[in-house]
Amino acid sequence: MEAYRAAGVRLYALSYDEPDALADYAKAHDTTFTMLSDPDSEVIRSFGILNTLIPPDDHPWYGLPFPGSYVIDADGVIVAKFFEHNFAVRSGPEQLLAAALGHEFEVPAPSDEQPAGRVSADVRIDGDRLPMGVTRQIVATFRVPEGQHLYDEPVPDGLVAAAIELDDLDGILSYEPMAPPTSPLTLAGSGETLQVYEGDVVLRLPVTQNARKMQKDDDGRFVTISGRVRWQACDDTECFLPESMPFSFRVEAGFPVLGDMGPGVGRVPAMNGAQHFQRLIDRRAADDSVVDDQ
Amino acid sequence: MDIQVDTRGGPSDGPYFEDAEGFNMPEPPGNGSRRIPLSDFPTGPEVGSRLPDIVATDQSGRLVDVHADRAGQPAVVVFYRSAVW
Repeated sequence: MEAYRAAGVRLYALSYDEPDALADYAKAHDTTFTMLSDPDSEVIRSFGILNTLIPPDDHPWYGLPFPGSYVIDADGVIVAKFFEHNFAVRSGPEQLLAAALGHEFEVPAPSDEQPAGRVSADVRIDGDRLPMGVTRQIVATFRVPEGQHLYDEPVPDGLVAAAIELDDLDGILSYEPMAPPTSPLTLAGSGETLQVYEGDVVLRLPVTQNARKMQKDDDGRFVTISGRVRWQACDDTECFLPESMPFSFRVEAGFPVLGDMGPGVGRVPAMNGAQHFQRLIDRRAADDSVVDDQ
Repeated sequence: MDIQVDTRGGPSDGPYFEDAEGFNMPEPPGNGSRRIPLSDFPTGPEVGSRLPDIVATDQSGRLVDVHADRAGQPAVVVFYRSAVW
């Protein structure tokens, strides 16, 4: 939230919850962003994103949106939107803020050991905690010297595309990587056309924690995400050898609210979630005449 | 828009289920809250259009008009399932 405030970006989160449920949540989590209550799903309907796969008599699920996020500029115009297939998986705050800021990023200075004229790479994880189902991004930044380029997939044998590769980790899922636009380049020799990135490149790989399979550290609260970044740079006449940089990030594993068993590192504070959940079930059960107007 | 329910995936370890992307969950794919779309689904107003007005009650009981409240600042508006579950 501090990053949003510093960037001058407001955050609103809307759900079909009752205002008092939001109040309890905000109290338990010291929430400073604006939580909006849409108990009759009126706003959700006005956006046309009510989940119509859920029948109106299926409490408490009816009224949910297809979950997603809109990023708007100062004029209120939508500049990006993120919609998820699965309820349980959503874009993390770093991804959304990056979109609000136009994917601006800091290009790392080349390290002293890096030979002049070669690509330098930096890899980090955006976010310090990995709650179940909320994506964090592994961000790889490549500083590419003038006249050189990196490749997007697919590439023929003998070339290596710029990519973030995760180790085979139990309980870590990765999703479609986000990458800048590419432009076509036809190779002089084979006549084959490949997609290349122009200039500096930032790749973002969304990752999340699976619900049941997570392998945590001995104390059960941390998870290590490891892998490598690969790339190969070419200029108009020749290619450099493929390169790779390993990474390993140890982050807190988060826990869901209803499953919370008490305070501690990596755990979220308790709220009276069960009581609010019962209300979600009850609030329309008495009125099954509710008609889906979409 | 004709949307199909995604029922791919199946039983996992113990009393759990796994969706097509490998995410584990307590209900079978296609059941209850897990009625998630297989095909394209509506994602609301398009990029490039103005965000429709949103007027709703916030966590402190205040009625908030998003466009007025953000006072000329850019914003992120998240539609999520629930703060309760």
